[in-house]
Amino acid sequence: MTRITRRTLLAASALPLGGGLLASRRARAEEAYILGTLFPMAGPNAEYGTIFTAGAAMAIKHVSADKMLSRPLALRAEDSEGTPQGGAVGMNKLVNVDHALYVLVGFTGVSKAAAPIGTRAKVVLVNGGGVGPDLAGLSPYYWNVIPLVPDEIKVLTPFLIARKLRRVALIYVNDPFGNGLYKALKTDLTAAGGEIVAADAISPTDQQFSAIAARIRTTAPDAVYFASYGAQQAQIIKQLRDAGISQPLLTYSGAAIPSVRNLPEAEGLTLTAQAADWTVDDPVTRRFVADWRAQYGSDPTPYHQNYYNAVRLFALLAQQLEKAGKPVNGDTLRAALLATRRFALVGGEGVFDDLGDISMKIVVNTLKGGKLVAVG
Amino acid sequence: MIAYLLNLAQLAAIFGLLSVSLNILIGYGGIFSVAHAVFFGLGAYAGAHVALDLAPDILLAALAAALTAGVLSALLALPALRVRGEYFVIASLGLQMLATTVFTEASDITGGLGGLVGIPPPTVFGVSLADPLAFLLVCLGFLALALAVVRLLMRASFGRALMALRDSESAAEALGKNVPLLKTLAVLLGGAFAGVAGALFAFQEAFVNVESFTLDQSVLIMAMVIIGGAGTLAGPLLGTVLLLALPAALTFIPGLPPTDIGAVQQLIYGLAMTVLMIFRPAGLAGRLAGRR
Repeated sequence: MTRITRRTLLAASALPLGGGLLASRRARAEEAYILGTLFPMAGPNAEYGTIFTAGAAMAIKHVSADKMLSRPLALRAEDSEGTPQGGAVGMNKLVNVDHALYVLVGFTGVSKAAAPIGTRAKVVLVNGGGVGPDLAGLSPYYWNVIPLVPDEIKVLTPFLIARKLRRVALIYVNDPFGNGLYKALKTDLTAAGGEIVAADAISPTDQQFSAIAARIRTTAPDAVYFASYGAQQAQIIKQLRDAGISQPLLTYSGAAIPSVRNLPEAEGLTLTAQAADWTVDDPVTRRFVADWRAQYGSDPTPYHQNYYNAVRLFALLAQQLEKAGKPVNGDTLRAALLATRRFALVGGEGVFDDLGDISMKIVVNTLKGGKLVAVG
Repeated sequence: MIAYLLNLAQLAAIFGLLSVSLNILIGYGGIFSVAHAVFFGLGAYAGAHVALDLAPDILLAALAAALTAGVLSALLALPALRVRGEYFVIASLGLQMLATTVFTEASDITGGLGGLVGIPPPTVFGVSLADPLAFLLVCLGFLALALAVVRLLMRASFGRALMALRDSESAAEALGKNVPLLKTLAVLLGGAFAGVAGALFAFQEAFVNVESFTLDQSVLIMAMVIIGGAGTLAGPLLGTVLLLALPAALTFIPGLPPTDIGAVQQLIYGLAMTVLMIFRPAGLAGRLAGRR
């Protein structure tokens, strides 16, 4: 029988390493602009990684087709595993091995672990998925192309009051995003004459919500707001409905994923998200939507839009720098962002503030037959 | 590339220290704990607070981390050590779940899921260790110290008594060994070294949150010890290097579609571990059956 020795293992490990080095050198020889992705690509959050990557990939295709830049764009993917440690290791590789100029991220813990590495190396990180208020101003090189959750609550509150949904029960993940959302909802709703009648904090790994549902029923709220992530959102919706809660369910842009949209119990769900009116007549949005439908046979989600916009933002900034004869790096990209501020993106004009956070039009949607329909 | 390799080497040194600390419990004491990430976390939070609130001195942070994790590990282990074998595994699992909840909820101390950000680069006697090579050397220094302590102790009467306890707790007790004291000292020592590893980890990442101290992390540390070879000095180090280097090497596989990269890597990683344990069940550095 062949014995596996330490030497065999080391040799086996070295083979892909050598191949990767060669591939990396080839990429540099072509002088491509390297964009990195730091998404969870396996495990329970892999659904997000797939969605985020698809949006970025379509933008790269469009930028290349339009010959916007003198050099090609190349995508290097690292699996962040959705953990800070995975994010730090992946970011280190993207910065030091792949020489990425611009890295797309999407999870809070990963963002916080990767941001110091990006800051030291002056590599821009762009978030299009996390909406926690603590993601604002993480670093001068950390930008958000997704409106953060307080912006979504500002739009939702008048909608609730107008629909006489004044008494709201809340289920929220006990993390900076959930706590930030709770604070924003409580402040805005109270100021508008409403109230939070119940607030239950949950862990991201919780799977049983029947006890919370029973408690909520006793408070007889006008609506139930939940703030969670990934597959847990579908579990919450199903268990609330199974427990006989028939009041309107409310949530944020994080629920615009297939596992929620395709859930029968999610029909009628109200959720805020940046404007995704695919009928608008601006050329950027029209082309994105047409090509998306042609390639995937369905409408894109706000996440697809955000990561498309993240790559498009890079192309617009790099194009501007190339025209001015300036090098493309973290410092020049940041200077160009702050000098320009307004960009034609999918969904309309995106305006960036001093921290690198975007403002975009946010609308209230309802879920009908798996599609988001703007209602306010 | 050099900076990336230095980063991996730092992680290998830190996790090497961590697996050496767990080896005291599993390899020499026969105490199978699936809660080692808790003590790693306690050290990380203690070290981070020293760096953020007092001074980023690595020796001070390591001392605070060792004291916090060591003392708390002994206190937490005292009731759990009354049970043995698979019952202790379950007790430690409970401790891990409890600690994860505490780390998440005690946001005034731990920052909750948001964690503690902005941990400054370490210094030693006022000299900056921001240079990755300098920090790596310090990590290797702590690792060497831990290996020396373990080697010395395991050749002394404490180590022999601990190994006797591992091989047969009843026989060791019958020979007059103070079983509870031996177990408590082993847990204290393992916890203290895990705490030091935690403080180094906090400096290395410049950010700590509960996601680094979950059951998954505990299982990874245990895998490092077992795959490397429990009860040997070099085994945990080999296991650490393999379990950190293999996933890193897999990221260099050319031509993988971005959306499949995670799944393919996990498949190869899992397969490699399974094959390894079939062909080397005693671990990389472990003695084969019959040669003990």
